[in-house]
Amino acid sequence: MKPSKSFIGLIIVSSAFIFYASGLYTNLQTDSALEIVDFSIIKDAERSQDIPSNPNRSPFYGDLHVHTKYSFDAYIFGVTNTPYDAYRYATGEGITHPLGYEMKLREPLDFYAVTDHGFYMGMVENYADTSSKISQQEWTKPFHNINRADNITLASGPQRANIFSSVLTQAIIQPYPLWHPKVIQAWLTKNLQLALTSFDYNVHKSAWADVANAAEEFNNPGTFTTFIGYEFTTSTAVEGGNLHRNVIFNSSNAPIRPWTRIDSLNPEDLWTWMDSLRDRGVDSLAIPHNSNGSNGQMFEVETFRGNPIDLAYSEQRMRNEPVVEITQVKGTSDTHPLLSPDDEWADFEIMNKRVGSRPPSYSMPQGGYVRDAYLRGLTLDWNKQGNPYKFGLIGSSDTHTGAGSFDENNYWSKVGILDGTAQGRGSVPLTDERIAQLTQYSAAYNQPPSTQELEGRTYADTGFEQWGASGLAVAWAEENTRDSIFKAFKRKETFATTGTRLAVRFFAGYDMDSIALDSEDMVQEAYAKGVTMGADLFASNNQVPQFLVWAQRDKNGAPLQRVQIIKGWVENGSGTPHEKIYDVACSDGLAVDSLTNRCPDNGARVNINDCSISNDVGAVELKTTWTDPDFDPAIKAFYYVRALENPSCRWSTWDAVKAGETPRPDLHQTIQERAWSSPIWYIPEQSKVEINIL
Amino acid sequence: MNLRILVFFFIGLFIFIIDTGLNSDESSKDIYISDQELSSLLSAWTSQVGRAPTDEEVVNIINNLVQEEILYREALLLGLDQEDRIIKRRLAQKLTFLKQETMPVDPTEQELLDFYESNKAKYFMPPTYSFKHHYFSKESNAIERANNSLNALIDGDMELTGDPFFLGKNFNQNTAAEIERSFGASFLSAFDQPKLNQWSGPHESAFGEHLLFITDTSDGFFPPWNKIAAKVTQDYVTKTQDDAVNLYLNEIKSQYRVIINPNYQF
Repeated sequence: MKPSKSFIGLIIVSSAFIFYASGLYTNLQTDSALEIVDFSIIKDAERSQDIPSNPNRSPFYGDLHVHTKYSFDAYIFGVTNTPYDAYRYATGEGITHPLGYEMKLREPLDFYAVTDHGFYMGMVENYADTSSKISQQEWTKPFHNINRADNITLASGPQRANIFSSVLTQAIIQPYPLWHPKVIQAWLTKNLQLALTSFDYNVHKSAWADVANAAEEFNNPGTFTTFIGYEFTTSTAVEGGNLHRNVIFNSSNAPIRPWTRIDSLNPEDLWTWMDSLRDRGVDSLAIPHNSNGSNGQMFEVETFRGNPIDLAYSEQRMRNEPVVEITQVKGTSDTHPLLSPDDEWADFEIMNKRVGSRPPSYSMPQGGYVRDAYLRGLTLDWNKQGNPYKFGLIGSSDTHTGAGSFDENNYWSKVGILDGTAQGRGSVPLTDERIAQLTQYSAAYNQPPSTQELEGRTYADTGFEQWGASGLAVAWAEENTRDSIFKAFKRKETFATTGTRLAVRFFAGYDMDSIALDSEDMVQEAYAKGVTMGADLFASNNQVPQFLVWAQRDKNGAPLQRVQIIKGWVENGSGTPHEKIYDVACSDGLAVDSLTNRCPDNGARVNINDCSISNDVGAVELKTTWTDPDFDPAIKAFYYVRALENPSCRWSTWDAVKAGETPRPDLHQTIQERAWSSPIWYIPEQSKVEINIL
Repeated sequence: MNLRILVFFFIGLFIFIIDTGLNSDESSKDIYISDQELSSLLSAWTSQVGRAPTDEEVVNIINNLVQEEILYREALLLGLDQEDRIIKRRLAQKLTFLKQETMPVDPTEQELLDFYESNKAKYFMPPTYSFKHHYFSKESNAIERANNSLNALIDGDMELTGDPFFLGKNFNQNTAAEIERSFGASFLSAFDQPKLNQWSGPHESAFGEHLLFITDTSDGFFPPWNKIAAKVTQDYVTKTQDDAVNLYLNEIKSQYRVIINPNYQF
């Protein structure tokens, strides 16, 4: 028995040693992604501090999703606009599209954030620059001089699409051999990308510093707000489930490098990193987008690794992701006709392909739309797993040209050369020359045909016809400063629009009907007596709450048609989800039919030949106090506002009208621009597992 | 007679031989790596990795350098640098940076003040208006209600039947641009010759009719020095750097002649 005893002793001693040694190794590692840099240019103390503040809060319009030349794909799309150009655009200056025309806003924005892909930020420009060290590697050849002035042509579009979809993905995964010092350095600093031959850390860091510097230079408290940010471009390991998120920082302090998909594909690791930064005094939030193209993965009922969602997961997700981008160029993610068959407005700017898939493949709607996510959240909560989907709503553009395209009548879509013309977007028939190009390309790169025949005419079949001129993020904030607007996102007091400057107020409480709708103090009283969008309304002695809605039209857009409240709830016995849509205010003095809960037709029409709209119907503002006729105080529910404008021409119709063509028969010729508020959640008394991020 | 032509021919041949001899590519096949270049490479390696490179690694470093140099020279020989817009731009940028960096970036107070004086307009704060208003929504006979209310106001009757305005009643120190964003462009005419502390109207906005009571206007002003010193300094530095480049450009521009096909169809 003696030998075995000493053998056990040996094992204990040696495992203790290994444990100690490995601990030592861990101490050798530093985490480069947690190194914080102060990017500020002018110290706050030096700034003039006369910032107007509104206790009743004002709506500030902006875009939190903008790519410039530093994004690997934008550069391939011919974009050379810098973050500085992007901010100039947001403040009202005109900047140039890759195809040479001017892009200019009708009205400047209040805030803007350049969010280039963190992954390989700045690298493609470096491959294209034939004087750079990395461009001497053989595989960078297709990138060489890609954006030289004479190479930015329409004819280069197909080739660019191919570089984007295949060359890049093959190139980036070549690591150095294991013995290489860069591999050791990658391990020592927890910075995996250093170990890749196609990566140059200095180029990457200086691109990120330039993004931050541009934000700092243009941030002008009281007038124009910028955020330092980037896109965390991750996806599920199989089936291309897009899990993209934008990360926005609350101050001039930000990490020395963005945390990217090379660090981890798992969004939970991103949140852990954000939590660590928060412990170090840098607050941030992550904003998921294009859930519509996630093949149902964005709002899954299980975690990234396939485990059940638990309270800790729900809390961490809500701590880091208080808002979601419901609408952008690549479609709108409110709901899908298959998910909401009783919603007559569900078929709106539906983009049914997985993001970036080639050839384009179908994206499953379940788990990809926010209304469905809210219901899933309630069901998970009902099942005591917490509610990870209790987020507010914003819109943004996801433009890759530096300039968001929000106007149906002045639309350039988002991927530069590829969709910068009406022909490229598929809204007007192709010329013979373009047909030849596209056919040749499909044959050369073994892709399915990228043209289609409709009523005897040939159109581009690129998927861009499903994209749209959308959207804007709107924050209800006291003042136009980083701090004030960031806090609005955190408390979810936000709404989303499809690019229109429509505005929506939304309150709920038990004493709302005591507030006179024509009182000058209406808003102040509503804040005092209730809660607003993004907040919880707690049960109070089985009382029935009232909701107060107030919408104002865009002064340059179409008038309002109706305001709706969308309700979702789950049955207490079974967790079965339900949704219902109530029209609550109609234009032109019309009354809601209490049987169908719908406004009658107000008679607004669009002339498809010149895109003119009826100018004698519709409302400049709609406001009402509303009570849920089906309210049950024991059932947890959410309520959010959808405000709809009168119909107007879709961008594809504008394109056709301008080209003297008839609009494509298979596309919607008109749309109803709209806004969605963040929900108010009604919380019954017995609930014990409520997630509250504030 | 023809002898003179022959003389010229031989002179030409002579010059040609001398020229090819002097410009022979043979002599440029040496790659000279200076001590300085070597030690800077090795110390860069050491600082990145945290230890000195082994012999094998030194060989690798030098090989990389040599490869890069060979490829570079061969590329030059093939003329790959010619007519490459990226390389042109890069070189132009390098020279621009050089010219910018040669400028002193530490301006004196006097220089800053002079700069400020000559660019004053840029720092001008535009006029602002503080006002309150009564709003009459387009939704119900705005003009009539507005006119009635104006008369009532003039008669001293403060009981008004206006509507609440979405963005509120009181606007403090708004510039013309801000007013346009809140009310639409048509509303600006109400501020053309503002009369203070009296009701006027009705004025039309994108949302209806308004009775307007302007309480204060500021003519626009130049902010005090301490509020803008930092910005002026930043602008001054940028400006001097740009000037340096322009000065340099102007000096040599005259030596260049630009030729464009006059028949080119733009």
